[in-house]
Amino acid sequence: MESSVIAERHGTEVTGCPVLHHDFSSTRELGAYWTLANELRESCPHFYNKYEGGGYWVFTRHEAVKDIYKTPEIFSSESITPWEPDPIYRFVPTQVDAPDHIKYRRILNPWFSPKAMEAAAPVMRDICRGFIRPIVSKGSCDFIEEFALRFPTAAFLTVIGVPISYTDLFTGWVDAFFGGFGGDPEGAEGMARALGEMRDFWTKQLDDRRGGPMREGDLFSYLLNSTFDDKPIGDDVLLDMCTVLTLAGLDTTRAELGYMFHHLALHPEHRQALIDDPEIIPLAVEETLRYYTIIFGDGRKVTRDTEFHGVQLKKGDMVYGLVSGANRDPRHWEQADEFVIDRKKNNHFGFASGPHRCLGMHLARREMAIAVDEWLKVIPNFELDTDAQLMERGGGAMMALSTLPLRWEVTS
Amino acid sequence: MKLCVSTACMGHGRCYTLAPQLLSSDDEGYVTIRGGDPIDVPDDLQDLAREVEGTCPETAISLIDE
Repeated sequence: MESSVIAERHGTEVTGCPVLHHDFSSTRELGAYWTLANELRESCPHFYNKYEGGGYWVFTRHEAVKDIYKTPEIFSSESITPWEPDPIYRFVPTQVDAPDHIKYRRILNPWFSPKAMEAAAPVMRDICRGFIRPIVSKGSCDFIEEFALRFPTAAFLTVIGVPISYTDLFTGWVDAFFGGFGGDPEGAEGMARALGEMRDFWTKQLDDRRGGPMREGDLFSYLLNSTFDDKPIGDDVLLDMCTVLTLAGLDTTRAELGYMFHHLALHPEHRQALIDDPEIIPLAVEETLRYYTIIFGDGRKVTRDTEFHGVQLKKGDMVYGLVSGANRDPRHWEQADEFVIDRKKNNHFGFASGPHRCLGMHLARREMAIAVDEWLKVIPNFELDTDAQLMERGGGAMMALSTLPLRWEVTS
Repeated sequence: MKLCVSTACMGHGRCYTLAPQLLSSDDEGYVTIRGGDPIDVPDDLQDLAREVEGTCPETAISLIDE
């Protein structure tokens, strides 16, 4: 009976897959979200996930996730959170569709290109060393609090031309925002407050630069001097762009670094492999993004009635491509459930794909590679410093470890 | 063997990172030969070219055996 109601309101299940009631916002034991993704993928290619007041289609396998990304004209980015089809924020260009989307991307792409990141790498490396240096002689640390939250934030602020003294302010905002992003009602108020404070900050930064000369290495000055359809970019859009850059640029790299260093703490043979051959660090970073992808799933809004992988979708339906399912789908991957440190054919969706592929991917990779390289140079051996169960934030807001206690022997 | 990159390239950068001997990037991060003519793959780089093909999340890379 339930499925006939859904068929009427939200399209039709052609293959008779189940209706489920999963909450993807709760904190779980480390690794629980990938286990869940594996279970969902192997039990059904798609299902309808109901929550109070709505629901959305979840596609669990690689082939369907790939096709969602490849068909942005059907799967709009107007909302990327299927439990919130009409969010209170608007990320630009994340939630902008064609034809405007690529115009924004062409403004931003050069700023975050591999060449730009290559040029910024020496400064990032210095910042990284600056965070590691005071930690080494302590013999232990909370990797998340003392390194993973701070290094990517400082590196990002440097790349966009904001003083790194603002690092702590930004980490607070990002934590508060993602407390509400996954659909947990208790986090909604903090999310709204963080958004407001961030916008106030960017408003002031933009006002300080308005009408002034173009400043080298300063993203805000660059954006104020950029044009969209031959006109200056409006203030609202500038603020929307700044907001998404901040949110996407800081929390995500923290999360990936946390999982990567957790893996390295448990796998001395992989630490040694990276020390012996630093050339494979970029491959190890890429495998981290596949195997420990922090994107549980990616939402899209359906723009027209269509049949898709056995489901009759209706215009306005929300879909959720289960990226964590796709990235370990044995139908696509060899050794799908193994961390292969030098995997080369690695076409994972850890940065999404299609026109909305992660703008900051080249920055994120570079930060991760530098972090691993610099850390292993001075702390080649380390292990977990706790027997307690480590927990991860809900996948709806992207998985992340809130703490990662590490210890090592201090040699000199 | 020839290697071709279609306009489906979104600038993920995995191909030119894996095979700088074959491919490079433009100022936005796309492969320079995106949407252009195929390039020749030297005999000793053909295995690498197959890995490059498999690393693209957009399936934008194709190999043409001659």
